[in-house]
Amino acid sequence: MMAGWLGSLLSAGRGAIPFALILIAWALATRAGVLPAMFLPPPGDVARTAWQMFQDGSLWINIGASVGRVLVSLVISVPLAVGLGIFVGLRRRLSPVVEPIAGFFNALSGIAWLPLAVTWFGLGWVSVTFILFNTIFFLVFYNTLVGVRTVPRIFEHAVRTLGGSRRHVIFQVLIPGAMPNIVTGIRMSIGFGWRALIAAEMIATSTGLGFMIYNASNFHQTDTILVGIVTIGVLWLLTDRLVLQPIERWTVERWGLVSSAS
Amino acid sequence: MDGGALGAGLFGLMRGLTVPALAILRHRSVLFLLVVAVAWASWELFLALTAPRRIDPALRSALQERTPVAVAITLGFAPENFHIRLFQSYGVVSGVRGTTVLVSRVSPEDLRRIARYYWVQRITPSDRARLPPVP
Amino acid sequence: MQRYREIASTWVIILAASIAAWSVGAATLPVPDYFLPPPGAVVSTFVELMAKGMLPTFIAESLRRIILAALLGLFVGVPIGLALGISRGTADFAYPVLNFFQSVSGIAWLPLMLIWFGFGERTILIAVNYTVLFPVIFNALLGIRSVPQHYVNALRTLGASRWRIVRDVLVPGALPNIAMGVRLGLAYGWRALIAAEMLVGANGLGFMIFNAQAFHLTARIMLGMGIIGALWVILDYFLLRPLEESTIARWGMVQR
Repeated sequence: MMAGWLGSLLSAGRGAIPFALILIAWALATRAGVLPAMFLPPPGDVARTAWQMFQDGSLWINIGASVGRVLVSLVISVPLAVGLGIFVGLRRRLSPVVEPIAGFFNALSGIAWLPLAVTWFGLGWVSVTFILFNTIFFLVFYNTLVGVRTVPRIFEHAVRTLGGSRRHVIFQVLIPGAMPNIVTGIRMSIGFGWRALIAAEMIATSTGLGFMIYNASNFHQTDTILVGIVTIGVLWLLTDRLVLQPIERWTVERWGLVSSAS
Repeated sequence: MDGGALGAGLFGLMRGLTVPALAILRHRSVLFLLVVAVAWASWELFLALTAPRRIDPALRSALQERTPVAVAITLGFAPENFHIRLFQSYGVVSGVRGTTVLVSRVSPEDLRRIARYYWVQRITPSDRARLPPVP
Repeated sequence: MQRYREIASTWVIILAASIAAWSVGAATLPVPDYFLPPPGAVVSTFVELMAKGMLPTFIAESLRRIILAALLGLFVGVPIGLALGISRGTADFAYPVLNFFQSVSGIAWLPLMLIWFGFGERTILIAVNYTVLFPVIFNALLGIRSVPQHYVNALRTLGASRWRIVRDVLVPGALPNIAMGVRLGLAYGWRALIAAEMLVGANGLGFMIFNAQAFHLTARIMLGMGIIGALWVILDYFLLRPLEESTIARWGMVQR
């Protein structure tokens, strides 16, 4: 593998080729008139719509709504879930019982809560944010709980033999030992949460990227849908590059985790 | 395979790997799938066996003659949208009387399919049926 | 023995307390009746929906769709991922575009699919299959890429052909990642299925709970939610996790 900026430029270039091919195929297909314009508008139209939405702010409002909900939910749910997970994980009598319950609620998390949330809170951002909260919370809570419980006892015994107190055990052994699981949980919660959000926005609210594309389909505004889809993809790629990969690099360096696509 | 001690050794390793792999499969997953398969098969059998009981004898001849019939399907409860939509895929739903749904233009195969539902109590010809006389 | 008795008693306490709190809440909270049906209502709804034949149909429809997606993911996604991952060149080529399409989940494509195929079974299947497929392809690719080079080199020095290297080193080495990818793909897919059923209709558990909300049949919503969660727990515990664990145990080069 060629080192340096030339190598990474070539690598990026190679990665961009499939996108270019797709764009070309798309342009050719619409030029040839294979499908009606409503089904697949030409790339030029989509670009023009995107530019328009950029300028009149409608795209930004929706991006802001979606991303904002995710950030708020992360900021509130993650510390709560990690704290609670550690607290429960330390209680030897409680954790074996709570773990399967947490696993069940973890399995349930996400869009399945939508009808209940709408019953309780009506349509709107409250229901949508509630779903995001509980998706992120249960995922991180469960992973933290499992992480704390699966730290090998031998480490704890080692610290105890060396005269460590319970506090040493908690802060020097259990919490660091659970970190890989905690970080994995946080990473996964962003993936699952983002998807639950898009689906919930389609059904239950009137702002956000999910709403934007679902609403557009009602009016057969295919170009808006495509703008939305590309935006979602780009946002995720940015999150991956700017947030998830650094986290992964940090944890791989520290605790030898393995990369996976989430 | 490829000649030589090394080649035979690798091949033996491959074969050795598959036997323990099978043993692992004798695990939760396979047992679970087996149980599910057996349960499902027995349920389907039960449905097939109890189906004929639900069809009124007056319909037997229509079944044999392979003519579409108009039937009254009696359920044990007031039908919901779910059931109406289901019957709409089998024929033309012309009305609901209490716990009975009237469906016309039901083909014999569809009639048998309807009879297989365990929640259907009875299928009788509806008044607007044109049935051949009972022998 | 003492531990088991402790744990069992904790279970009993927690379950009893939850049911009690739920019942009390249902009876006393100053909210409309349909906000919080008591536990008994959920049980009687279960009996009712079973007697009416609705619940088995809903469950069967959802299961059928997820199983189809799983089969497609396994038999189409895995080979594609492996093929793309074998050489560094194609892997670099495919990685960004796979990453992009995986991040745009099937549900985001649903509005477009609604325009193309309308409100029907096909739309649901396309959305769910798409959602399952990409994580599988992606992780299969990563799996093959993650096989340490010295294993490949070892076989090369022993004179193995390219095909032997693929069969004996690359594919087994990729298995833990493949299992993980299948599990992740199905996790995403199950949720996408519920969402798609809500949006498109056409029976299924998602439709059941969404429809129930329109009629304020909250007991049905809770029942449906319970079944959705329980089905995933069962699938995961009996099928997906054992498979993932056995691949790690056998061929695991994954550091955990």
